[in-house]
Amino acid sequence: MSTDGSSTTPQAITGIQAMQGHGVKQSRGFWAEAWSQVIRRFSAIVGLTWLGIVTFFAVFAPLIASGHPIRFVQTDADGTRTVSYPLFNSLTAPDWLLLLATLGGAIFLLVPIGSLSKAKRLGWIIIAMVAGTVPVLMVTLLRSGAANDWLFGLLDFLRSFERDEQGNAVLAYAVVSIFISASAGVLLTLWIPFSDSVLKRLAWLVLAVTCSGAVLGLTWDNRPPLFNYNDAVRAGTADASYTLIPWSPAQRPTDRNTSTMAPGQSEDQALVRNVDNSLSNYLDNEKLSLIAPVGPTGFDIARDVITRQPLADSTKAELQTVLDRFEETQPDATRLQINAVLRESLADDGRTFPLGTDNQGVDMLSQMLHACRLSISIGLVSTGISLIIGVTVGALMGYFGGWVDLVLYRVVEIFMAIPVLFLLIVAAGVLPKNIYVMMIIIGCFSWTGAARFIRAEFLKLRNMDFVQSARATGLPLRSILFKHMLPNGVTPVLVESSFAIAAAILAEATLSYLGLGPDNQPSWGKLLASATGESGEFFWWLAIFPGAAIFLTVLSYNLIGEALRDAIDPKLKKARV
Amino acid sequence: MTTYILRRLLFMIPTLLGITFLVFMLVANAPGGIGASLALGGGEGADAGQNRAIQQAYLEDRYGLNDPVLVQYVRWLSRVSPLKFGTPMQRDPVGEVIEPPKSLDPPPFFGRYYAQGGTLPEQVRPKRAPEGPGAVTPEEAQSRVDAFRRAQNDYTNTRGAYIGSVERLKIALENYALANDLAGPNDVIVDSKLNESVFRGHELDTQSELGQRVVATGEAAVEALNNAVASRERLAEAYAQRPFPDSIYRLGPVPMGIPGFVYLAPPDLGRSFSKSRPVSTLIAEALPVTLLLNCIAFPIIYIVAVPSGLLAATNRGSWFDTASGALYVALWSIPVVWAGVLAVGYLASKDVMGEFAFPAAGLNSSEAPDMTYLPSWGDDGFERGVLFDTLWHLCLPVACLVYTGFAILSKQTRAAMLDNFNADYVRTAKAKGVAQGDIVFRHVFRNSLLPLITMFASIFPAMLAGSVVVERIFSIPGMGSLVLGAIYERDRDLLLANALMIGAVNLLALLLADILYAFADPRITFD
Repeated sequence: MSTDGSSTTPQAITGIQAMQGHGVKQSRGFWAEAWSQVIRRFSAIVGLTWLGIVTFFAVFAPLIASGHPIRFVQTDADGTRTVSYPLFNSLTAPDWLLLLATLGGAIFLLVPIGSLSKAKRLGWIIIAMVAGTVPVLMVTLLRSGAANDWLFGLLDFLRSFERDEQGNAVLAYAVVSIFISASAGVLLTLWIPFSDSVLKRLAWLVLAVTCSGAVLGLTWDNRPPLFNYNDAVRAGTADASYTLIPWSPAQRPTDRNTSTMAPGQSEDQALVRNVDNSLSNYLDNEKLSLIAPVGPTGFDIARDVITRQPLADSTKAELQTVLDRFEETQPDATRLQINAVLRESLADDGRTFPLGTDNQGVDMLSQMLHACRLSISIGLVSTGISLIIGVTVGALMGYFGGWVDLVLYRVVEIFMAIPVLFLLIVAAGVLPKNIYVMMIIIGCFSWTGAARFIRAEFLKLRNMDFVQSARATGLPLRSILFKHMLPNGVTPVLVESSFAIAAAILAEATLSYLGLGPDNQPSWGKLLASATGESGEFFWWLAIFPGAAIFLTVLSYNLIGEALRDAIDPKLKKARV
Repeated sequence: MTTYILRRLLFMIPTLLGITFLVFMLVANAPGGIGASLALGGGEGADAGQNRAIQQAYLEDRYGLNDPVLVQYVRWLSRVSPLKFGTPMQRDPVGEVIEPPKSLDPPPFFGRYYAQGGTLPEQVRPKRAPEGPGAVTPEEAQSRVDAFRRAQNDYTNTRGAYIGSVERLKIALENYALANDLAGPNDVIVDSKLNESVFRGHELDTQSELGQRVVATGEAAVEALNNAVASRERLAEAYAQRPFPDSIYRLGPVPMGIPGFVYLAPPDLGRSFSKSRPVSTLIAEALPVTLLLNCIAFPIIYIVAVPSGLLAATNRGSWFDTASGALYVALWSIPVVWAGVLAVGYLASKDVMGEFAFPAAGLNSSEAPDMTYLPSWGDDGFERGVLFDTLWHLCLPVACLVYTGFAILSKQTRAAMLDNFNADYVRTAKAKGVAQGDIVFRHVFRNSLLPLITMFASIFPAMLAGSVVVERIFSIPGMGSLVLGAIYERDRDLLLANALMIGAVNLLALLLADILYAFADPRITFD
């Protein structure tokens, strides 16, 4: 959409000057124009802001919320000090790659190198991120055992590295990156013409794949010791300094705190609750009334629970003395009295849970932050997959027609005849539960809309003159389909993809709620599912926060989608006011 | 019109085939397989692994899970298809099809490592059944049934014993191969099948302890095989006596189809692995519940959304238009799971709602069986009655089901109305001086109906899927709960039948939408 500047310039210019290009503003690209209309809308700004926040946490959550200390100083018996940095060792390959891509991408985008335009650079970054994701995806699939027969040889080969002690990580990286560069890289280079020079394309892909392969290799066996820092700190042999939120989403102190804590409560209160739970379990088992005296056994149980808590030894000893004294003065104390005494004698200076915990006693806030990545990435990647499948299939159907159309359209009909959520439930129920499989199944089951639209567009386009002449000049099929026809028909599909992302995020939340989401991965849907307990209790913080997060993310995508649609489609704008 | 409907019904068949094939492939290729998730037990101790393997082999044999996937799919299809070939099957009173006894495969390496010179026992083909029951006395019929049941039990036991002994033989062979370095740990038994090429050209070392173990388990397997074949023969005989009536579908005394060639029979959806009940019964219990939910929800969506879209279109740009637009985008973005959880947590909580708390789960309260159907005023005040009780239970689920539909439908109504307001005929009508109300309702609204009918086709699948989630949240025993249960238990037949039913209901709804289309718009004909 070029803006004809000559009519709005205040000074008069001659026709010859106008023909020479005086007073003509540089025309902006189609998408740049649409974008400038989008960010003029208040609702779109709100949506973009929220998505910015979520994306920020998606990238930086492992650094913001982690149970691994940043700096951990251990002092041996003979006084030597060893300093380690567990937080950085705990970062996984995707963590590193995301940080790398975000920081590197920001630099590449903001520092002007060469004559590339910003939009082009953004495209290069996206290509690099896609290329870099492929190795991670393949390796994760391989390691999770989801690969089929033909991959079993490779799987065993890679497993053999894991069995060895050391030194083979680099080899593993070499194998993986060569394998991936060979298959995915070449395919991408040949099919996506993001630069005119094939050599440049290849170099860029090799760079991306090598980065991701290197990170994969370096973090191959990177499993930091799990959460025994507190034991050492308690014993007084170590010193730990934590990051902003000192909890990891996988931090499951099984024998310590399994009570669901409300927002703002602390570890110490969790201790009182744990003692209380153990006592009421004991009374239940003994078929005693819950307000009956607990007796000497009850006191023993309380002492035992306290011994197992993550507390400093002095505090524990103090609590034990308090209990001993209380048993002497009031041997027939009830559960509630013990509860009160413990609560009084605690200084309440443990680490707090700002948003409470889930039903496993794991901190909520840290899970909420880490779940951002799942939500954002599932939305983007699965929509990307569905766009690729849908556009390709739709283009083939529309361009060839005939029996290709007939056969492929039957496939589309099958997917239309059954609710997508039903298929997703079946697939998620029987396939391995991990984030990449989830992206793939959501992508593979939601491409029919795009395919139908592109098919209709291509049916119209293929009889147009410019396509006919492209065919007559003998251009290759790839060029006709993707260089000539696609740019003329794909815009509405791209706009609708904003709604598709929202739908994918909803689908993920629903599947996670039903217990079919990725394992070992915090997810808003999973948190929401634990809001209602088995015995009918209701934890409001487990319902409000994750639900609101899903709602706001979906709403943001929908608002941006509406704004984009209005900006692109002048006819709709007229109709919609 | 009739031709069109018939053609559409015919086109449903490949689509339904595609759906079931997709689901079948997904379930069959699931890592771990179905047998593995069925065989949960196995006990503790040293033999746990072996016991589990035997149990799994037994289950896979029983449900035919160790055949190639395509064979299993074709078998499932032939059971489901209402048109069947060959001899009519018999059906027991529960409705389960009685199959002729399955044949037995010989144990691996028969006559090579053990039982040298021995011959495989011959397995008789079940004889072609004699003519139908005819005039048998009730006592004789009963004794035939008893004999069949006895033989069936016997064969189940001996066949199970044989399967177990083959599994033991396989384990002995695996141990032998590992000890003699014939293959690696994952090569001897692949997907619970013995890889015989490992032993190619290898002479068994009968002196070693493991070799002797192979021979001993092999002999045991042969013995079990002989037992099984003997009891199979008895079962075949009892089967040939036709203890149960055949399952040719009869219209009165007239059998549908030609016995011996092609005949009609009600589709057999199989038996649920996990619930041990016929799938058709389970679906017959669950489908009405889901349809009830959707049948209540649909009118509500249309009653609320169409007038509000109409109002928004006629007062375009007014506060109502803006507010309803914003509200509907917000409603549309609320995840059903969140709405459900909040509803259970707050609206169904006695602490918040007091006396008027909605019920949180189920379709009826526990007192429902004692209630009358309609509400009544008895001795102790107002009595809810089953009808009102059910409606009361359905309030929250229906609310969770409808609100996303409001947004889609009202937006669509508004867009369709605005499109028509810009049309030439409206300008003409205005120029003629037609009253505003007549323009809106007689001209524009009537013409905007078409997209609303099309919307039915896109809302319906979404509602069916949405009711899966809603049923789960509110513990309603409908299709959704059935599907989720089947997924958690990997209950293949139940899942396939569900896919079939949901697909069929959905396709019929689409067909209905197209027929309504023709009624709403006289310009459209299907001939």
